[in-house]
Amino acid sequence: MSFLQDNMVYILVATISMSIPLILASLGGIFSARSGIMALGLESMMMTGAFTAVVGTYFSGNAYVGLLAGMGGGALISYLYGILCIRYKVNQVIAGVGLNLLALSATTLLTELIWGNRGSSPQVASIQLNLSFLSKVPVIGKILEGQSILLLITGVFVCVAWFVLFKTVYGLRLRIVGENPKAASTMGLKVKAIKYQGVIICGMLAGLGGAYLSIDHIDLFQRNMTAGRGYIAVVIMILGRYHPFYVVVAALIFGFSDAIQIYLQGQGIPSQLMQTIPYVVTLFVLAFGVKHIRPPAGIGMHEDDH
Amino acid sequence: MNDIVRMTDISKVYPSSNVRALDHVDFTLKKGEIHSLLGENGAGKSTLMKILYGMNAPYSGEVVIYGEKKIMSKPIHAIELGISMVHQHFMLTPVMTVAENIVIGREPRKGILFDRESAEREIQKMIDTYGFNLSPKAKVEDLSTGEQQRVEILKAMYGGAGIIILDEPTAVLTPQEVNDLFAIMRRLKADGKTIVIITHKLKETINIADRASVLRDGKMIRTDIQVKDTTIEELSRYMVGRDVELGIQRPSLEIGEVAFEVRNLNLVEREHSILKQINLKVHRGEILGIAGIEGNGQSELLEVLTGVRKPTSMELRKNGELLKGDARAFIDQGIGHVPEDRMSQGLVASMSIMENLILGYHKRPQFSKRGLLKDTEIEEFSDQMIEEYRIKAPGSRTPCKMLSGGNQQKVVIARIFSEDPDIIIIAQPTRGVDIGAMEYIHSRMLDLRDEGKAILLLSADLDEVRNLSDRLLVIYEGEIVAEAERNQMNESEIGLYMTGSRSQKSGE
Repeated sequence: MSFLQDNMVYILVATISMSIPLILASLGGIFSARSGIMALGLESMMMTGAFTAVVGTYFSGNAYVGLLAGMGGGALISYLYGILCIRYKVNQVIAGVGLNLLALSATTLLTELIWGNRGSSPQVASIQLNLSFLSKVPVIGKILEGQSILLLITGVFVCVAWFVLFKTVYGLRLRIVGENPKAASTMGLKVKAIKYQGVIICGMLAGLGGAYLSIDHIDLFQRNMTAGRGYIAVVIMILGRYHPFYVVVAALIFGFSDAIQIYLQGQGIPSQLMQTIPYVVTLFVLAFGVKHIRPPAGIGMHEDDH
Repeated sequence: MNDIVRMTDISKVYPSSNVRALDHVDFTLKKGEIHSLLGENGAGKSTLMKILYGMNAPYSGEVVIYGEKKIMSKPIHAIELGISMVHQHFMLTPVMTVAENIVIGREPRKGILFDRESAEREIQKMIDTYGFNLSPKAKVEDLSTGEQQRVEILKAMYGGAGIIILDEPTAVLTPQEVNDLFAIMRRLKADGKTIVIITHKLKETINIADRASVLRDGKMIRTDIQVKDTTIEELSRYMVGRDVELGIQRPSLEIGEVAFEVRNLNLVEREHSILKQINLKVHRGEILGIAGIEGNGQSELLEVLTGVRKPTSMELRKNGELLKGDARAFIDQGIGHVPEDRMSQGLVASMSIMENLILGYHKRPQFSKRGLLKDTEIEEFSDQMIEEYRIKAPGSRTPCKMLSGGNQQKVVIARIFSEDPDIIIIAQPTRGVDIGAMEYIHSRMLDLRDEGKAILLLSADLDEVRNLSDRLLVIYEGEIVAEAERNQMNESEIGLYMTGSRSQKSGE
């Protein structure tokens, strides 16, 4: 009984900590997709965020500076994504996948240039603040006590995102732009500006998710650190119907499959097999789960289309 | 002066194609009038109005609104001056509510919050004033086309527009909805609004407008026509540039034996009876018309009769022989069909005219050999068709999407008619087609009939069905509710059958 309980706690703790970066990235993806740009570049934004967060921490010695640097890095590459998709009207799939490849090779190259090692960076300062003050909360206290402060921040962001999207004038305008850019533009909305904002908010949140992976998780940057989580975040965003609350639920499903994978690796089952679990889950979700989910109608469209 | 809009010497050249869409055009609007802007497709009506709406900059010439010279370069400039436009393709967001669609860009707010309640309250007030049957909370995707149009009109008026431009507003409406729209337009006029209706329908102009202007090939042919002093014939002469025969009836000279017979046709899908017990016969040398409001089973009937959809039960005979198989087999058996929507079913818009002309017939030895297309022969055939069917196009290799609606329809019709089918099933042959092309398509249909073909015509245009058909059926909720010989029933009688208020089956 106690053995099972301990394992359950372990898995739940891991579920939450694996979910945080996914929630942040897909939350960002919502802003991008809702403004009409499918967030296929999420992987590049997470990866860049993970890298710049380590760079920021390495040079400043402060992990919080690193967090901001992570958001900045994500924002920067998302701005690039925005320029491609909005200004030059590049096909969003091509632009997204292209940037993902670019981010992988650029971060590898820069790791080599800065630290002389292409595999990983040295260990940097990490975020010390955790939620241990919640350890006294009954039942869930045990699960929360080891979690990073970013859990709290993520929770706040989820609520703020929902509020902004569905309660404010800004959110209404963003959603109209994503549904029908032409209608929005005839009514005098600044369609391009709103799309850039959506994409950059996306980059900041995904960058923060990446920063969590690097400076909050293992305190260094590794080559291909995000390992496809950006793509999984896209799936989560779709499965979560482009809605902040549902996205949390969807992310927890994937976080759980990740946690199980880590747990089972410690149980003598071949790790290569176990590592496929999250991707197999993704495959099943794509095949069966997302058929009836309608994306914003204006994805890939421009206000001056004919 | 009570000219609230004066456009002088307006010209517009599209730089990409170097086409002069408008050539030194003058146009004025008087306060409180309904002004019909007439012209064939491509005459420049929409171009002119989009300039007034700020959607078509740059242009040359002068626009004076309420006595002040204005430069219209963005729709928002026009909207701020109280000019709104209801586009032919609605600018609505289907997943959002009526209220959200209407207030966008000028939302009532509480701080940064969207003040949904006051938006819905204001819109409810407008809905009550004009007697629209709508709810501000309804999602636009759940509304009918006519209702969506009302949302567009409310959107135009929200914020107090004084001038409303309606671009081909009746193209998408049923006859009943057209009447409703006209009632709304009269109410708006009584309210002091000025309305421009862009149209190519002369009857509508006569019905609703006070004044009319006619554009042809980018030139203003006549402006300041007082509608009460003119006739349809006169207007059509201005519009087409020659006399047109409209609504001329040409009854069949000789009706032969039964060529095509449908018995006991039923279609049940998802426990929903879509077509009920349909029996019909089309004779050689006869046009059988099916009238009805769209959505009463016509699309399904068409698909069943062309082999695209499988019916629950049906006995189909051609010249007495039982017919079976899929769409391919039907084509090979000599049943040609013109689908109701040329863009989604009739053509591959991005492909060239010559490719579209042989679609479905591409395996004929004339066009291909061992799986390879005979390019030269196809092009020759295509050039010949372009000439014969008077398709206005730069050449055989022009993609169909570059053509006007009327010329696209001619491509579809040329493809079917040139194959010399014994039976032709033709749906909405002249939807969105200009008068010149309409006249031509109708006369081709009558010619084929006189050659002894059997033609089944489905159309939502009641005038078209009445003028062409030798015999007429009315369909309502998937059932044939009335049958009449040519001119046996008048328009309002047919209307009663179409709306289900009357049925021959239940003994009137």
